[in-house]
Amino acid sequence: MIWQQVQSLAGSYPLALRGLGMTVVLSLISLVLGTLLGFGLGILRTGGNRLISAAIGAWVDLIRGTPFLVQIFLIFFILPELGIELDAFTAGIIALTNLAACFICEIVAAGIRSVPTGQVEAALASGLSRSQRMRQVVLPQAMRIVLPPLVGQYVLLIKDSSVVSAIGLTDLTRVGWLVVQRVPNGLLVFFLVGLGYFIVCYPLIMLARRLEQRMGAAHGEVQL
Amino acid sequence: MLENFSFRTIVEYLPLFGQGLVTTVWLSLISFAGALAVGIVLSAMNLQRGWLFRVPAKAYIDAVRATPLLAQLYFLYFGLPRLGFVLPELVVGILALSLNSGAYVAEIIRAGILSIPRGQVEAGVASGMTYVQRMRLVILPQAFKVTIPPLLGQAIVLVKDSALLSLISVAELTRAGQLLASDRFMPAEGFITIAAFYLLLYYCLKGLAALSGRWLGLQPARSST
Amino acid sequence: MTKTGMIDFRGVNKWFGALNVLRDITLSVEPREVVVVCGPSGSGKSTLIRCINGLETIRDGDLVVDGQRLGDPATNMTRLRTEIGFVFQSFNLYPHKTALENVTLAPIHVRKIPRAEAEQAGRELLAKVGLADKVDAYPAQLSGGQQQRVAIARCLGMRPKIMLFDEPTSALDPEMISEVLDVMVAVAEEGMTMMVVTHEMGFARKVAQRVVFMDAGAIVESGTPDEFFSHPKTDRSRAFLSKILRH
Ligand SMILES: Nc1ncnc2c1ncn2[C@@H]1O[C@H](COP(=O)(O)OP(=O)(O)OP(=O)(O)O)[C@@H](O)[C@H]1O
Ligand SMILES: [Mg+2]
Repeated sequence: MIWQQVQSLAGSYPLALRGLGMTVVLSLISLVLGTLLGFGLGILRTGGNRLISAAIGAWVDLIRGTPFLVQIFLIFFILPELGIELDAFTAGIIALTNLAACFICEIVAAGIRSVPTGQVEAALASGLSRSQRMRQVVLPQAMRIVLPPLVGQYVLLIKDSSVVSAIGLTDLTRVGWLVVQRVPNGLLVFFLVGLGYFIVCYPLIMLARRLEQRMGAAHGEVQL
Repeated sequence: MLENFSFRTIVEYLPLFGQGLVTTVWLSLISFAGALAVGIVLSAMNLQRGWLFRVPAKAYIDAVRATPLLAQLYFLYFGLPRLGFVLPELVVGILALSLNSGAYVAEIIRAGILSIPRGQVEAGVASGMTYVQRMRLVILPQAFKVTIPPLLGQAIVLVKDSALLSLISVAELTRAGQLLASDRFMPAEGFITIAAFYLLLYYCLKGLAALSGRWLGLQPARSST
Repeated sequence: MTKTGMIDFRGVNKWFGALNVLRDITLSVEPREVVVVCGPSGSGKSTLIRCINGLETIRDGDLVVDGQRLGDPATNMTRLRTEIGFVFQSFNLYPHKTALENVTLAPIHVRKIPRAEAEQAGRELLAKVGLADKVDAYPAQLSGGQQQRVAIARCLGMRPKIMLFDEPTSALDPEMISEVLDVMVAVAEEGMTMMVVTHEMGFARKVAQRVVFMDAGAIVESGTPDEFFSHPKTDRSRAFLSKILRH
C-alpha cells in the first residue's frame, strides 16, 4: 500500500519539478522587481517630500494591514473589471512584487534613518550632490542595518508565493494539493512539499542569522 | 468597470460579513493563546543546556520558519485523518495557526531573554540566587516587557494568516468575501469589504502596540511579584 | 604556610583561550583587611576578583574563600556567594525594581528573611548610604553615584563577610565619586574584609592596609599604600603611577 503510494508519487516527479520551478521563478522575478521598487520607495519615503512620504506610508499600511490572499483576489478578480486583462501568473507577480516592495521599503527606510545625521552633514559639507550623498555615504552605511531583515524578507516572499496556488497557479503547494487527490497520503505528500520549500528557504534563514550575528558583533565593538 | 459597484449588496451581505469577522476574531484569539503556550514551551526547551530538549525545539522552529503556512495547513488537513484524527476544519485551522505562530513566539521570547544585559545575570549570581530564582525574579520580568510589542506584531501576522483558513472552507471573514464573489459574481464588493474589515483589525492591533510601547517606555514596570 | 586568610590564592592560573590572564597568583587577604588592586587596563584585575565569587572559574592552583575551596564538589557555590558582596563597575541594579526592592530581593528570596524584617533593614541601609529619600525610586530615576550607593546597600543587605568592588567609581562623573568613596570608607571602618579594584589613591591611603599592583596577569608588587605610592619598586609600577598621577 505504502509502496504503491511511493511509486505513484515517484511517477509525479515531473509535475513536482514543474511546481518547484514555478515557485522559484515566481519568487525570483518578484524578488528582483520588489527589491528595486522597494529601495526606490524607501529612498522616497525618507526624502524631503512630506506628501510623497505620507502617500507611500499609507500604501504600505494598506498592504501590511490586509492578508496576502485577499490582495491576490483583489488583483486577480478586480483588475479585469477595470479593463486590465491579466492571467494568473501576471497577477501573482504583481501581488508578490507589490508585497515585497512594501516590506522592503520599510526596511530600507529604517536603515537610512539609522545613519547618523552627522554623516549626511559631513557629506553636505564636502559638497556632494543629493544622489552622491545617497550612493556614496548613506546607502553603504544603511546596508549594514538593511541586509539581515532583507534576507529574512526574501524567505517570507518565497513562502508567501505558496498563496498564489489559490488562483490556480501550479506552484509547489498546488502540486501537493493535486497529488494528494490521487495519492491519499497527506502526511507524506505535504512532507515532501515542505521539504522542497525547506531546501530553498533554510540556507537563506542561515544567511540572515549569520548576517545578524555579524552585525551584533560589530555593534558590540562600538559599544565598548 | 466598477461604476456599478453595489453598496446595496454589501449591506445585504453585512450579517454574513459580521459573522465572518466575529469568527476571525475569536479563532485568532484562541490561536494566539495556543501560540503563546507553544512558544513558551519551545523557548523553555530552547534555553536548556542539554541537547535533549534543545535540539528538537530548534529543529521544530527551523522547520516551521522554512516552510509556508499553507503547506503546513494542508499537511495537517490532509494528514491528520491518515493518523485517525478526523477533526472539524476549524479545529485543524486553529491547530495550524497555533503551531505555526508558536515557533515565531518562541523566537520572540528567546530574543527578549537574550536582550537582558549580562550584568543582570551576574548581579543575580553574585547575590547567591539559583538559576530558577534569577529567571523568575530578574530575567523574566524584564524580558516580558521587551516582548510585548513584537508579540503584538505577531498577533497582527496571525490575524492576516487566518485568511488562509478560507482555503479549507472555514467560514471566517475571507470566506464571506469569497461567497459574495462567487454567489453574485461581485468580487469587488466582496474583497474590498473584507479588506476594509482586516484593516480595521490591523489598526486596532497597531494602536495597541503603539500604546503598549509608549506605556512600557515611559512608565517603569511595577514589580510583578 | 598553613595559615589561611579569608581569601587565599595559591598558585592560581587562568586562561581565556590562549591568553594567560592570571599567572601564578598567590595572595592572602586576612579577615578585616582592605586590599586595593590596581594596574593597567587588561592586566587581569577584574578577572582576579571575579574568580573569588566564581563569576570566573580558575584552571589550576587553589582558591580558598572563607575556608571553602572553590571547585571542590563539597563547596556550595550559591551558599558561598551569599557571604560575598560584589559591586560592579556598571552597578547592574535591577531596572524593574525600586531601590528598596533591589536591596531586599536577595535577602527575602535567598536568605529567606521575612519581608517586613528585610524591608526594615533595607530602609536602614539605604539611610546609611544617604538615600533615605530614594527608597521608592527606580534606578533610571537615580544618578550614577546614587545607583552605585544602592548597589552597595544591596550587597550589605546580605550581611556578607567579604565585599568585592570592581572599579566602583570609574563609570561615575567626577563630582559623584566622593559620595561613593565615603560610603566605602564607612564600610571599611566597620571591619569588612574588602578587595577593591580602583585607581583612587586617596581611598587607598585612607583605608587600605595593602596595595597590590598587577601587570599582564601577574602580581608585580605589593605593599602598604605608603610604600607603594611613595617608593614604587619596579619600573612598571613607576610608569603606571606616573600615568595616573598626571590626571
Ligand atoms: N570573557 C573573556 N574572554 C576572553 N578574554 C577575556 C574575557 N574577559 C577578559 N578577557 C581578557 O582578559 C584580560 C584581562 O581582563 P580583565 O578584565 O581582568 O582586565 P582588567 O585589568 O580588569 O582591565 P580593565 O582595567 O580594562 O577593566 C584582558 O586582556 C581581556 O581582554
Ligand atoms: Mg576590569
